[in-house]
Amino acid sequence: MKLKNTFSALLIGLLVGLSAATSAKITVDAPAPDFTLTNSKGETVSLSDYKGKHVVLEWTNHQCPYVVKHYASDNMQSLQRKYAEQDVVWLSIISSAQGKQGHVSADEANELTKSRSAQPAHVLFDESGEVGKMFAAKTTPHMYIIDPSGELKYAGGIDSIKSANQADIPKAINYVDVGLQSLLAGGEIENKLTPPYGCSIKYKS
Amino acid sequence: MRLFKQKTNLTNPNIFNVLRYCAKAITTFGLAFIFITSINADTRYNYSLDSSPQITNTHSDKATGPHIQVAMITDYQSVTSGQEINIGIRFTPDEMWHTYWRNPGDSGEAPTIELQSNKNLRYADIQWPIPSAIPVAHLMNYGFDGENILTVPVKLPSNLSTLDDVIITAKVSWLVCKEDCIPGWATLQLTLPIQEKSVISQHKKLFENTFTKLPQAQKLAGLYEVSETQIVIETSSLPQGKWHLYPFRSDIIDHASQQTLLVDEDKTRSIIPKSPYYNHKGEQLEWLISDGKTAYYLTTDFNQISANAANGQQSILQDTQKTQNKQSLFIYVLMAFAGGLILNLMPCVLPILSIKALALQNIQSGMSHKLAYLLGVLFCFNAFALTIVVMQQMGQQIGWGFHMQSPVVVALLAFLFTFIALVLLDALVVATRFASLGQNLVEGNTLTSHFATGALAVIVASPCTAPFMAAALGIAFISEPFVTFILFNALAIGFALPLSVLFWSRKALKFLPKPGAWMETFKHFLAFPMLLTVAWLVWVFAGQAGSYLQFLLMLCLIIFSMFAWALGRSGHIIIKLICVVGLMISFVAPITLSFNSSDLQSNAGNNASSEIGLTQSKAFSRQVLSDLRNDNQVVLVNMTADWCITCKVNEQVALTSNDVIDALAQEGVVYIVGDWTNKNTEILEYLSQYERAGVPLYVVYAGNQKGKVLPQILTPNMVINAINTAKEDLQK
Repeated sequence: MKLKNTFSALLIGLLVGLSAATSAKITVDAPAPDFTLTNSKGETVSLSDYKGKHVVLEWTNHQCPYVVKHYASDNMQSLQRKYAEQDVVWLSIISSAQGKQGHVSADEANELTKSRSAQPAHVLFDESGEVGKMFAAKTTPHMYIIDPSGELKYAGGIDSIKSANQADIPKAINYVDVGLQSLLAGGEIENKLTPPYGCSIKYKS
Repeated sequence: MRLFKQKTNLTNPNIFNVLRYCAKAITTFGLAFIFITSINADTRYNYSLDSSPQITNTHSDKATGPHIQVAMITDYQSVTSGQEINIGIRFTPDEMWHTYWRNPGDSGEAPTIELQSNKNLRYADIQWPIPSAIPVAHLMNYGFDGENILTVPVKLPSNLSTLDDVIITAKVSWLVCKEDCIPGWATLQLTLPIQEKSVISQHKKLFENTFTKLPQAQKLAGLYEVSETQIVIETSSLPQGKWHLYPFRSDIIDHASQQTLLVDEDKTRSIIPKSPYYNHKGEQLEWLISDGKTAYYLTTDFNQISANAANGQQSILQDTQKTQNKQSLFIYVLMAFAGGLILNLMPCVLPILSIKALALQNIQSGMSHKLAYLLGVLFCFNAFALTIVVMQQMGQQIGWGFHMQSPVVVALLAFLFTFIALVLLDALVVATRFASLGQNLVEGNTLTSHFATGALAVIVASPCTAPFMAAALGIAFISEPFVTFILFNALAIGFALPLSVLFWSRKALKFLPKPGAWMETFKHFLAFPMLLTVAWLVWVFAGQAGSYLQFLLMLCLIIFSMFAWALGRSGHIIIKLICVVGLMISFVAPITLSFNSSDLQSNAGNNASSEIGLTQSKAFSRQVLSDLRNDNQVVLVNMTADWCITCKVNEQVALTSNDVIDALAQEGVVYIVGDWTNKNTEILEYLSQYERAGVPLYVVYAGNQKGKVLPQILTPNMVINAINTAKEDLQK
């Protein structure tokens, strides 16, 4: 009995330790962690560059069927275009490690943007996965909205129906669209956290 | 996290080959994907369950997707009316590839099955085999490695014609993954001839085998609680084993985190870090609890009892606060007044007032005389109220009779009561100043005497609590200062009323018995209630200062009485001097000694409670806590309740570990336990100080420094570190 308790105590210690180690806990209504990454044109881009503007972070992997669902249907690009017009900064981030699915060169990234008529402000490379883990990004797509003061306002799925089927898009509630609308109208987001769905991000480790 | 890293490293040599293969597969799939999607987009919308769909026989019972084969099977190849059969969708992924459980975990997607038929069939829910946890990088998925069959029990209608066929169509979607994932869709179909007698199919054995891999039919029920970072689940006891909980929903727990399992004789509890996406609304949560071989479905309800208790307690607190509004304040004023009246009859007060009343007879007096007693009472009660308000403002929580917690005051009162008893017994020689002091207090007819009687009456009344008074005082102690004063004054007026009536009214005086020789006897008799009060005070003193000092106090009381008696019985100056010195010494000795007795007291308390349990603990009260903090002790407060699962887990894991017991047994460290199993306003107030509506709550104090709140889930080290830090803080 004593031994068992000691063991459980050790386990809990381990568990608390672990959660501290991977403490990339995302907290809405708290300042989003700043980061600096290189974009597909070789320039460095920091989140703090866009203080004063709404920023959308989109974790992506063009080969992931769930990303394909939203690009083949023009769903993602139409959101990018719609909010680019409203001065929202859209950052597409690729955390796929070298040699893993979704990893692309800068040229390939630019080509993808062109061929898919996408309109992100930047496509950013996070080969080390550091920024992805900082934001506890799990899936592609995984979406975040940051307000002009730098606070995280939304984290989660692109929409409410977890599937790779394009036919589900019109039936789903698009959380990013709804969220940006209410933020830009000066309101609060109703669902600040929704479970993300899709492929796991192909992290280095 | 390290663990997963190693696993992926192990498979790394293969990954590149697989990836190359996948990249190919995905590019070819890209086209196929759009094609399949468009077909499905059509069919999905055209079918509805109600309309009888146009089913052709062009569909096959098998489909092949990248890295997976999917087949539709049944346990009967021909069926009869009213029969129950099982439809199975068999997924056969390539080696190392997997499909998902109903909750896929961090990523992935559960397969879907949509069944339709030309006949009116009734379909049960999908029966999911026991899943395994599949780590992917630092994430976790729930699914099935290798072949698995999802079965759906189906009931056929009882009016089937034997010339007909039952055609069942299954629209199936799936996601097959290794690290990369490929979704697939297929419409599969089976045609089952209807016959007089059903015939089992070649798959019957396979089905039987599949059923052995299903969770047990027995369903478990349990409770869950949510803390800042964790969710705690409790259910009935399971055999020892590596039980793992799989939630139905993906947004409840952090899937990749270690689950901590505690199995004891009657309960199984698990602590799991919660998902950042979990928005706790108190709803029922469903789980599968599995040790890999055996599994049970578990339905957990939010631990309502703790929620209710919190609400109930809240409403109690609100009630208490509501009573502070005017109407209820009036009731409490009445109760205080009645309490004051009744206080006149208490054994400690009655003798003094009786003597006073009898001494009043037939003496004319002016207005100031009439008011002096009332003023004395009011003065004393307001002094009490002021002390209470000041102490409360200083952050101390005190109750009626708070001064009785000091052994010095108790000893002083013992002397006072002894002295009054001596006066009543006429044991003192009338000529002495000392005696006249006493006479004056109780029998005198001067202005100061009346005032002094009032003050004295309040002092001797203070250890007694009359009925009605308790409730009103309880309110007074937790109210705004002005309410405290109102209630104390109501009490004072009630207390002063009977004697004041005698001061004011000649008529009232007539009701008193006529003076006579009996009065002397009555006065002597009244000394005995006084001595009873002394006995009680000495007992209280023993509890505070120990039996040694109690003996000393009794000895000194007797010596004091002897010298008081002797004083004035001899005119000789030396004897007088001896008497005075003797009086002084006997009076001062126990008082000074009891000043140092607080230490003895806390030791005595500790010893008494140490017999109760493994861990030495004291029961919580504000007073105990503030005393210990004033005494510069390190104090660990544990607010717990029998119905609180998280509390039990902490007690099981952290608070009864040997290291923690040792840490709590150190000198200068005191462990206080507040039991909130039953409603207790004092504990609720303490909890609300920390903005908690419920237990557990753990606070460590370093003397009077600000308390440090510990997390709701404890480890032994957290407790030990907090205690050590507090000890260091004290030494600073």
